[in-house]
Amino acid sequence: MRDRLTAALKAHDVEYADIRVEDNLNTWVNFQGPDLDSIGSSRTVGGIVRALYKGGWGYATFNDLDDLPKRVREACITARLVGTGTTYWAPTDPVVDTIKASLVKDFRQVPLAEKKALAEEYNRIILGHHKSIQTSAVRYADYFKTLWYANSQGTYIEEEKPDTNLLVVAIARDGDIVQNGYETGGGADGYQSVENFQEKARSAAQKAVELLAAPPVSGGKYTVITNQDLTGVFTHEAFGHLSESDFVYENPQMQEIMTLGKRFGSDELNIIDDGSLPGGLGTHRYDYEGVPTRKNYLIKDGILVGRLHSRETAAKMGEPLSGNARSVHFQHPPIVRMTNTYIDQGKTPFAEMIKDIDLGVYAVRSIGGQTAMEMFTFSAAYGYMIRNGQVAELVRDVVLTGNVFETLQNIDCIGDDLAWEPNGPGGCGKGDQHPLRVGLGGPHIRIQNCVVGGQQ
Amino acid sequence: MIVQEIVAKALEKAQAAQAVMVSQETSAVDFENDRLKSAESSQRTKIDLKVIVDGKVGISSTTDPRDVEGVVQRALEAAQFGSPAHFELPEPQALNPVEIFDPAILPLEKPEMIRMGQQMMDMVKSYNPEILAGAAVNKNLYKVEYANSRGASYSAEHTDFNVGAAGQLVRGTDILFAGHGIGQKKRAVDTEAIAAQAIEYFHLAEEIAPIESGEMPVIFTPSGLAALLLSLALAVNGKNVYLGASPLRDKLGQQIASPSLTIVDDPFVPYGPRTSAFDDEGVPRQVTPLVEKGVLRNFIYDLDTAGRAGAKPTGHGSERRLTNLVIEPGQTPYAEMLRGVEKGLLVHEFLGLGQGNPINGEFSVNVFLGYKIEHGKLVGRVKDVMLAGNAFDAIKDITAISQEREWVSGPWAWFNGLIPHVQVGKLSVTAK
Repeated sequence: MRDRLTAALKAHDVEYADIRVEDNLNTWVNFQGPDLDSIGSSRTVGGIVRALYKGGWGYATFNDLDDLPKRVREACITARLVGTGTTYWAPTDPVVDTIKASLVKDFRQVPLAEKKALAEEYNRIILGHHKSIQTSAVRYADYFKTLWYANSQGTYIEEEKPDTNLLVVAIARDGDIVQNGYETGGGADGYQSVENFQEKARSAAQKAVELLAAPPVSGGKYTVITNQDLTGVFTHEAFGHLSESDFVYENPQMQEIMTLGKRFGSDELNIIDDGSLPGGLGTHRYDYEGVPTRKNYLIKDGILVGRLHSRETAAKMGEPLSGNARSVHFQHPPIVRMTNTYIDQGKTPFAEMIKDIDLGVYAVRSIGGQTAMEMFTFSAAYGYMIRNGQVAELVRDVVLTGNVFETLQNIDCIGDDLAWEPNGPGGCGKGDQHPLRVGLGGPHIRIQNCVVGGQQ
Repeated sequence: MIVQEIVAKALEKAQAAQAVMVSQETSAVDFENDRLKSAESSQRTKIDLKVIVDGKVGISSTTDPRDVEGVVQRALEAAQFGSPAHFELPEPQALNPVEIFDPAILPLEKPEMIRMGQQMMDMVKSYNPEILAGAAVNKNLYKVEYANSRGASYSAEHTDFNVGAAGQLVRGTDILFAGHGIGQKKRAVDTEAIAAQAIEYFHLAEEIAPIESGEMPVIFTPSGLAALLLSLALAVNGKNVYLGASPLRDKLGQQIASPSLTIVDDPFVPYGPRTSAFDDEGVPRQVTPLVEKGVLRNFIYDLDTAGRAGAKPTGHGSERRLTNLVIEPGQTPYAEMLRGVEKGLLVHEFLGLGQGNPINGEFSVNVFLGYKIEHGKLVGRVKDVMLAGNAFDAIKDITAISQEREWVSGPWAWFNGLIPHVQVGKLSVTAK
């Protein structure tokens, strides 16, 4: 492939060009309710050529790999139509590297019958758990992706990216009330990461049943503690997206808001994005422009100190490369994305954090989050009221919303118990690129004056 | 056709088979942050195969039309462990004629698409130079070929054309996004009207209007109605009905909404964004009334779910996707609807839609773009406001539907349809 890509790139007549080809083999087993919903496999092959000319981009995406030089020429012609300004492109040392998958138990060697039996067992556990369990969903999927990347500056990277993931959902019903419980699992290191999930399947079913009896939280302003998974989602949604410099680099007002050196939180607040973190869901050795990933402090001791860059945004803003240009699929060019984002561990034990709260909400795990720059909203899977310094009754429909700048300032306690959200399907969406694998992590944190949505 | 070749190959081992191939060519131009940022040419091919072996279903797909052997072999393997087929593939049937191809789109080249985008962006900039403007124009030509082992074989060529303008305005720490776009199957599109609509959203948002928490009347814009339609779409999905997860599962023929509400899924709207003659299972599309004068009329079913549930397939494809949702216009002119609200909220876009428990109807969303109504007038944009309620309660409490309707469409829309403004009597609004 190296020779083919290098030869194709010779057809370019612009300032910079690169080409990425992917081959993705995917197998899945889905149960929904008592029935096997779908079992199958797919193979997706294709690529993208990017050409950069006078600040304008031309892209050509394709499934047909036959005539790569033609795709390069197509992208170049398009770039020349677009470019009329100045190219900004941060230099990085060319690399040549091969990254092989390392699997404890290779899912490609596991017969489909075994994958089906595995999903079926988890599904049976959920359906048999309790009479209120109405239905279930179990989704197993594995992906073996091979990427080939070359650019006109001499970089060539070949990388295998395996992924196995599992989602189990229990749906319980009582009259018109329907509640869900879920668990996720999996990993980049092989099939064993989805085995021995029986306990988790049971606990998903149990949570759905318990939630049937839980009242919805009543809307209002509370002192909120978020658990580690939810802290991860909050960090990603509320702050992380603001650090993606493609929102900032051509936007003077955003640059003013996100001025490096500005205080965003207390001295204890550290927010980090680390694409080099071993075993993280968003870990790569290089990003999709051949830039090595690294540990990037975004907030250090409460002060904004850095942001996430592609080669274009780094050059435009005169800031160091961070290795954050990523793409979800060859049909999309890489854009600035997070990798593994987290609030770093603080000093306060959970018991200490909760003891002074008379009335509050302990929000646990996440079933989604969304942001529009300063505004964010995210939904907890469930929550508990906090009463007189104790975790009290279970509540449902806990949705947190707010203004990120105020909310970060309102974090007054950071836990000593950093943890990462487990693997599972899904990921981050930005523009039309979804789902991208990202790592979400953090300790318990306490937020003062947080708006919790719900009927009053 | 390749699809017939694949079906023939699969029938060497399978008792039944169907294949669908979609081939498409796309051109797109994209403006971001006040300038033309990129343009793209894209070629895509995808083949999906479904086989039935000894009564069990296996599926596979590939992007490589030369990989006939591979795609057939993987589908056959999956069928060994597949779920039992509760259906037969459909026989050849007569298809409704549809308008889905506009030859005027073919000669449209990137320089003209760039000119259209530039024009929309210039309009937004001349309204307010501080807005960071963006625009997107793309055209898509695609061919769908279907064949199955009962001799059904269809082919259709579509043209898609999507045009949108948007912008971002930052004042202090306040950030406002707004935009408007249209997706359809014909070229004739009024770029000035699209830009004007995007500008209108900015214009109305110039002032920020504080609002107090409480229950109040809420008007949903056509695109804002997604907050209610999302739950309805999940609840009429035959799979959710069959699995018992839909709260409407036993409500066919019953009054579930205000008598003023009629919603029809119409795949035959000329040049509509989701118009087509057959689905990916070879089932002819059909007009499906979902709600008639408030009465629930139909659920939507794919072949297999229909077979399991003892219902008829409705031509919504294996994924049971709605096509063009058409809501009957109401009696009230929009201006009059607005005038009738003493204190309330107009909601257009949300953050967090679809989170939580949408099939139950419950929603609790951040109003991303919404306007306060005071003494019958829009007085400014609201901020940090949550709207909460239950979609199934809300559709019973519809107090007015506008005479005017707008298309909600394009790749950026939650759903595609011809939709009026809809007023709901009372919903809970939480302001910070």
